[in-house]
Amino acid sequence: MPKKLLLLATNLLLSAWVMAQFSVSGTVTGSGEPLIGVSVLVVGTGSGTVTDIDGKYRITVEPGQDSLEFSYLGYQTQRIAIGSAREIDVVMTEASAVLQEVVVVGYGIQKKSDLTGAVSVVSTEELVDIPTQSLGQALQGKVSGLQIIPTSGTPGADAIFRIRGVGTLNNADPLFVVDGMILNDISFLNPRDVASVSVLKDASATAIYGARGANGVIIVTTKQGSGAGQITVSAYTGYQQVVKTIDLLNATQYATLINEADVNEGRQPRYANPEQFGTGTNWQDEIFRTAPIQNVQVGFSGGNEKSSFNLSANYFRQEGIIVGSEFDRFTTRINTTRAVKDWLQIGSNLSLVLSTSQNVNAGGILLDAYRADPITVPRDSLGNFGNTAIRGNTGNPLATIEFNDNKSQDYRAVGNVFAQAQLWKGLSFRTSFGLDFVYFRSRSFSPVFEVSANQRNEESDLNVLNTYRRNWLWENTLNYNQEFGRHRVDGVVGITSQDNFGEFLSGGRTRLIGEDPSFFYLNSGDPLTSTNGSGPSGGDWGLVSYLGRVNYSFDERYLLTVSGRVDGSSRFGENFRYGFFPSVGLGWNVSQEDFWNDGGIVSRLKLRASWGQTGNDRIPEYAYTPSVTSGVNTVFGPNEILLPGATVTSLANPDLRWEETTQTDLGVELGLFENKLLLEADVYRKVTDGVLFNAPIPDYIGAGASIRNIAAVLNRGLDMQLTWRQRGRAFSYSLGGNLSLVKNEVLQLDGSMADFFSGGLGIGGQLGTNSRAGFTAGSFWGYEIDGVFQNQEELTQFPTLGTQRPGDLRFRDQNGDGVITAAGDRVVLGSAIPDAILGLNGSLEVAGFDLSFDFTGQFGNEVINAKKMARFGAYNYETSFLDRWTGEGTSNTEPRITLAGQNIETLSTRFIEDGSYIRLRNLSLGYTLPESIASRLRLRSCRLYVSGTNLWTSQEYSGYNPEIFNGLVFDAGIDRGGIYPIAKTVNFGLDLQF
Amino acid sequence: MKIRILAAAVAILLATFSCTEVLDRTPQGVYTLDNFFQTEDQAVQSVNAIYNQLRRWETHVFSYIGMTDIVSDDSEKGSFPSDGFFLQEVEDFEHTASNVAPSTVWAGYYDGVFRANLAIANLPEVPEMNENLRARLLAEARFLRAYYYFSLVRWFGDIPLILEPFPANFEIPRTAAAEVYAQIEADFQAAADVLPEKSAYPAADLGRATKGAALAMLARVALTRQEFQAAADYATAVIESDEYGLLTNYSQNFRRAGENGRESIFEVQATALEIGGAGSQYNEVQGVRGEPNLGWGFNRPSDNLIQAFEPGDPRREATILYVGEVLPDGSAIVEDNPNIVGERYNQKAFVEEHPGGNGNGPGNIRLFRYADLLLIAAEALNEIGQSAQALTYLNQVRARARGTNNRILPDVTTTDRDQLRNAIWHERRVELALEQQRWFDLVRTGRAATVMQALGKNFVPGKHELFPIPQGEIDLSQGALTQNPGY
Repeated sequence: MPKKLLLLATNLLLSAWVMAQFSVSGTVTGSGEPLIGVSVLVVGTGSGTVTDIDGKYRITVEPGQDSLEFSYLGYQTQRIAIGSAREIDVVMTEASAVLQEVVVVGYGIQKKSDLTGAVSVVSTEELVDIPTQSLGQALQGKVSGLQIIPTSGTPGADAIFRIRGVGTLNNADPLFVVDGMILNDISFLNPRDVASVSVLKDASATAIYGARGANGVIIVTTKQGSGAGQITVSAYTGYQQVVKTIDLLNATQYATLINEADVNEGRQPRYANPEQFGTGTNWQDEIFRTAPIQNVQVGFSGGNEKSSFNLSANYFRQEGIIVGSEFDRFTTRINTTRAVKDWLQIGSNLSLVLSTSQNVNAGGILLDAYRADPITVPRDSLGNFGNTAIRGNTGNPLATIEFNDNKSQDYRAVGNVFAQAQLWKGLSFRTSFGLDFVYFRSRSFSPVFEVSANQRNEESDLNVLNTYRRNWLWENTLNYNQEFGRHRVDGVVGITSQDNFGEFLSGGRTRLIGEDPSFFYLNSGDPLTSTNGSGPSGGDWGLVSYLGRVNYSFDERYLLTVSGRVDGSSRFGENFRYGFFPSVGLGWNVSQEDFWNDGGIVSRLKLRASWGQTGNDRIPEYAYTPSVTSGVNTVFGPNEILLPGATVTSLANPDLRWEETTQTDLGVELGLFENKLLLEADVYRKVTDGVLFNAPIPDYIGAGASIRNIAAVLNRGLDMQLTWRQRGRAFSYSLGGNLSLVKNEVLQLDGSMADFFSGGLGIGGQLGTNSRAGFTAGSFWGYEIDGVFQNQEELTQFPTLGTQRPGDLRFRDQNGDGVITAAGDRVVLGSAIPDAILGLNGSLEVAGFDLSFDFTGQFGNEVINAKKMARFGAYNYETSFLDRWTGEGTSNTEPRITLAGQNIETLSTRFIEDGSYIRLRNLSLGYTLPESIASRLRLRSCRLYVSGTNLWTSQEYSGYNPEIFNGLVFDAGIDRGGIYPIAKTVNFGLDLQF
Repeated sequence: MKIRILAAAVAILLATFSCTEVLDRTPQGVYTLDNFFQTEDQAVQSVNAIYNQLRRWETHVFSYIGMTDIVSDDSEKGSFPSDGFFLQEVEDFEHTASNVAPSTVWAGYYDGVFRANLAIANLPEVPEMNENLRARLLAEARFLRAYYYFSLVRWFGDIPLILEPFPANFEIPRTAAAEVYAQIEADFQAAADVLPEKSAYPAADLGRATKGAALAMLARVALTRQEFQAAADYATAVIESDEYGLLTNYSQNFRRAGENGRESIFEVQATALEIGGAGSQYNEVQGVRGEPNLGWGFNRPSDNLIQAFEPGDPRREATILYVGEVLPDGSAIVEDNPNIVGERYNQKAFVEEHPGGNGNGPGNIRLFRYADLLLIAAEALNEIGQSAQALTYLNQVRARARGTNNRILPDVTTTDRDQLRNAIWHERRVELALEQQRWFDLVRTGRAATVMQALGKNFVPGKHELFPIPQGEIDLSQGALTQNPGY
């Protein structure tokens, strides 16, 4: 049977070949030179070839096949009818004539030249060389106006995104849209599945996302299949190390300084002979390690007019640079489309992800490593953990790692199905239903152990947590697209609704019958000790929206975009449930005008302007009504029965309303030297009114703060992107830079508030930031140091803060009233918001080699080194304490040494450090095998590369990393010492295409 | 055909219109103030929550001990030198407005005030409930509010006096201490008028505030205010109620068996359940550090306290746990901890082995004993010239301490007002040692400066009688709060 079939097939093929097969050949050139490796495809078939070293090709064509498609990276794809020609020479046009570039925008796509909004696009090629599982981290330094902050080096950690400064004081994350599915995070995405990322910055671009557009929108499009069937295999492996460590005292220095502190504070010095301790333990060396990182990916893709598919599987594994931490992730993706009828197209995008983390308590470990005395050994000769509680009152960080077994798994499915029908001339209808489902489970086990009285566990215990969250989105849109002579109109109207809900189920027991992971189930614990809980988690909210947009263009010269969205959000009370968010954008393609001299240096010029309003509803649910907390129990009676109690623990605000951002943007797009040099620049002004924030309130109120509409904030700035690209036969190169300047200012505070304090330093309720009207949001707020009191006379000569002694810090009397008071003498000491964020990148391709680099940096931001201020024991000191005052004239900057007290606990310029840095984010060198060799290996292409991430950093900051951000602006830049440091990585990779 | 699709599209669009029910959400799994305070049970729960605050870390544990015992001449910080360093600053009078201790109790006691205010504002609105119960619950809430304010006013002086749960604005200036005291007295008085006596409560309610407790508190407040006649009257009322008496065995007061005993006027209820959630860390922070490992070893009895005991006074042994001593339950001997020099512990805070680890302490926190009340009565009566009656009460306390050993602690006989006053003050110190009364006694009697300076402490008169208002609170009040002098 198979034999027969084979015979039949061969016969058919042969007869067809004999009858009409013919071949077409020619040369492909671009920029005046032959192009090598241009893909030539017979349209409608899977057959194709590539051009050789002289740009020549020859391809066999069957009858009925009427056109060829020529495509080449960086050039516009061309389709040419074959007709009767047997020789077809093609001149390729560079795609950097961005006029034709298509950009994915909200609810549609537009030609770059038609855009009136500020949208930046990053394509996949720019992202893949950075070894990370996080798309966010791969985007750092790529886009002007987009600040990426690698929150931590925790394996598997995602990055924080900030578009055009910090518009809100609240959650300022942008909105994420992946293949049309609206999400709050993209941590599940495999960067290698991504085709392009659009960063929507101004209101003209984001207003169509209404209530969620104020912080910008990131639209991610994943790869779809096209052309001949293709297999890609790629892999890399590498090693990571901590970028820098903190300079701390060695054992001898430590004992010397503690002795001195003892004397200064009226005690007997506690260490007889400091030298006896030598250098002692470097705790940072103990907790950090060189850790491997690996990634393997296999992909299959292909497609034609009727259907397309792209299927990929990926495995990523990363051990953390802190001993004991680990992350791995399996990702699969299936994207398909199919034209069922000539008027109906259907498709789906689906990603399934399983990730597993071995978690460590990085905050505790890092703080202990920072604080632990260097005299104590990590482990004694018997293998017991050193008791660091005795000298310094800290835990032993190695014991924390050892006696913690915390593992979590994240199962996630994100996908959508859609159908699109052509209804009328230019009119189509699209419906799309998407689902994001997360199932998370974690278990944390602690065995019985005792290192010291405050680092021990008397009974083994196990805690488990299961949560799920589901989020569905149903979107229905009518699209219209028509040209009338020189007028072109397209538009979209739609209705969408979205619903998010989740729940957790947790339990715990102690006294497990075994300490092996096979016993890590609640049933292994003592039922008498059982605790459990369940409740809503991960957000209980819904949105209903009505959206619309019209684009009008006249003769490709004059452009107008009007868009708007009405959003209803369940997070607001009845009276403020709906908000309306409009925008308008104008564009003028000056270089399309008749008067434009096409031969000039300036090959392209476009001017843009936009205005619009967007909102932010990212606040907790039910914030408009006060919840009653139960479980506030008490004991009564001779049998000591636990009786239920319930009370309110947080205030509520029935008057919550939308936070509203009004943004104006002016942009220019410039092409010079035949568009080899491209410049895009935007200036913008963003005013956010009614900023929603859970501002701290005094403790004497007795309950937690509620969300309030608290302030108006202004962000204004400049985004600029510059690219020079030169392609040639021998070599191609590009150089690019992007620059974002931003100024943030609090315009006013609501009600009678004069000061807006926040940013707890963890020291007796002390707050580190103040966001007064006129200040940058989250300005550091404290005393300026004038010097150190050198002697008793100076103590009478200058005002003091409370009781002070010689050797203490001399605070500046700002208002000159002769006394130092918190009310009158604290000033702005800096802020975490950088003045400028810079990205610099370049690439060079020559003779099969490619070299690329990326620098990223930020300037003009400061850090509060708060970990240095929080001393609740005889902790180790940073080496800066060695320069202490020890008598008149010894130091006028560093005070006398003390264990704690005012010199240390009080926020002053002493603890403010410059947070500027510049970092070689990525450097990679690759080699692509020549076509001739690759084809002999039956490969379409083969590239080998080596790349390094974070290889070089220049920073003033003494801590691990000056990028300190936990998501809230007035809590930003406060280094409390618990942030998992970032790593530098070197890796080797291989990309194959079959 | 296309028309049909168009129709379908429009139908779908309209269908989505009706999807607005995704906007209708109600809080899941919790009551809100809109549907709470509807039943008798909920009314009880709202008051239970005020008691809950008494047991918490912020209220009666670490900082509390620091700001009552450690700051006084009764004890030192204890533990390793660098452990809990902010309490060392308190001990040495080096604490600033950023010290952890004052900001912790400040927040903890005001949380209690809020819970009381919430109950007081809403209990009258509960639609249907037993009116006697309603009145009692209101009285309990007022008792607890007064209790929280009484501690705050003694630590901080003038403080924001907030009597409603949701004040219209958050910038609330300090109220003069005298006014705060007036409110405290009014609340305790209102509680005394309504609350049942200890014996009149159902057994299951043992531990709730009583009439006797309210009167005793009024006596303590009056003594603090130096209103001696009132103090004497309130104390006498409690004594004459015959609800209370001295236990035969002094140390029995501090054992689990002595909880809520005849001598107990008011105490914070705690117990060690297997699942936790009912204990306190009061015992743990003062527990033996080392072998056996019972806790953190804070609140080390001072040499000065040891010297204060008269020769042979058995209360010294009952108060202080030494290295080499057998634990009160006989379970082990306290071993020397090589890392602490001269360690000794507060024996009154000792609890026997219990489930859930040291942090799940079952010991009730004794806030008011009958012996304390007798000494308040004695002090007040002496000041108003009734020394004979004063001597009776003082000697009752001494007699109990003496037990059957007639060679120690002879009766005090002096009727000289100053001598008797000193004798009563001395008796208070040794009888109530390490029961968190000493600091308030020193301040209220104006002796804090003399006593602390005599120990070589850096005590600044006019400053250190009060703790600093936490700087964060001054900031968040938009400057409505002012700082205490000297900080």
